[in-house]
Amino acid sequence: MLAQAALTLHDEPLAKTQDSSMTDAVPPTQSEWEQALALVALKRDKTAYAALFNYFAPRLRAFGMRMFGNEQQALEMVQDTLLNVWQKAHLYDASRGCASTWIFTIARNVRFDMLRKKMSRKDDILADDLWADGDYPDMEDEQTERWDIWIVAEKIAPHFDMLPPAQRIVMEKVYLDECTHQQVAEELGVPLGTVKSRIRLALERLREAIDAKHS
Amino acid sequence: MPNTVKHHPSLSVLEQFCEGRLTAEVALVVAAHIDLCPHCQQLQHDIEADLACAWAGEPIAATTDNSAFAAMLQQIVSAEPAPLEAAASSLSKAKSLEFGGQQFLVPRSLQRLAAKRSKWLTLGGIATARLPSGDPHHISLLYISEQTQVPRHTHQGMEMTLVLSGEIEDENGRYVAGDLIVATPDHTHTPRNVKQEPCLCLSVLSAPLTFTEGMTRLLNPLQRFFY
Repeated sequence: MLAQAALTLHDEPLAKTQDSSMTDAVPPTQSEWEQALALVALKRDKTAYAALFNYFAPRLRAFGMRMFGNEQQALEMVQDTLLNVWQKAHLYDASRGCASTWIFTIARNVRFDMLRKKMSRKDDILADDLWADGDYPDMEDEQTERWDIWIVAEKIAPHFDMLPPAQRIVMEKVYLDECTHQQVAEELGVPLGTVKSRIRLALERLREAIDAKHS
Repeated sequence: MPNTVKHHPSLSVLEQFCEGRLTAEVALVVAAHIDLCPHCQQLQHDIEADLACAWAGEPIAATTDNSAFAAMLQQIVSAEPAPLEAAASSLSKAKSLEFGGQQFLVPRSLQRLAAKRSKWLTLGGIATARLPSGDPHHISLLYISEQTQVPRHTHQGMEMTLVLSGEIEDENGRYVAGDLIVATPDHTHTPRNVKQEPCLCLSVLSAPLTFTEGMTRLLNPLQRFFY
């Protein structure tokens, strides 16, 4: 019985992960990255930093190649982004979001300013103007729970096809399989906060689509 | 009933904003809207979490050439600590601005640029001051006195107006601080301030306006004035 339970616990997420084509290997957890950033911030720990670097550098380059279509600029973006991570790790605040989100937004800002500089705009709009350093105060998380009460699965489920895959999977698990947010997070290997984010985004997208149909 | 923001950018515009793919001037209007709109603050947070999580979980082909990275890692960890930068960036920021004897709070995203605005140009009850920006988009602050109508106009390009303070209305509705009005070439509208207090807006134009009312069509300077 126990063995069987262990087996299902072990097998189910793997099977689901595969058919949802999310990832082929379980990525290191967000809390490991948070710890690494804390070590870099407090002790300028090069081993912890190298782990972050080795994981994120190839992914940043892939992102840079998509955005610039040019290896040299992609690598410039990687270097600038990861230098920021090394020098500004103390500015990362885990209560405001995942380590990977923090790194992603740095890369976005670096890329934006690189493009503006290339167009040699002086005295112009900078990434720092557009994106606040960290979140706004009083970010509330209760909305998802409140929406849950009002939403009837049969009404919205037919529209799940229009959602981006990552959001659709979360919605199916919550509204059709009636999983808790925590269960979904564990099954998909994504942070709980991201599960909640994806539910809110999916609901917003469904609302937009339904509004458009009625007007 | 408090005045709540009702006119938001679409989810796809917010997504492009979060990825950094919007034109800078349009992105600035969206950023200022987000500063004033808790709903879109939450959506921005969610979109960034969603995008970043998908990005970080992507598998990377084992065959990729990582030779460039060893030298890069060495260079980074031997870099000097970051210079202190806090003081410099807060120097030229306008937390509020004064016009027509009235103080207006400036959203965070506009504070640095609002301090670099050009001189106000005044025409009747309307005034405008340009913020630094490049072609083909013009971005400016637009002040509309109480009980004043902006001449009826159409757009050759796109016009985005964000109410920063006060209230305006046009043929389609009523807009309060934080509301975003997007007008495309097929729109003709007459924004007006019917309240007893002045209104301040941020406006982005991608092409000159055409004024459609008889009198104002003769006043060519109006077009130069707005664009």
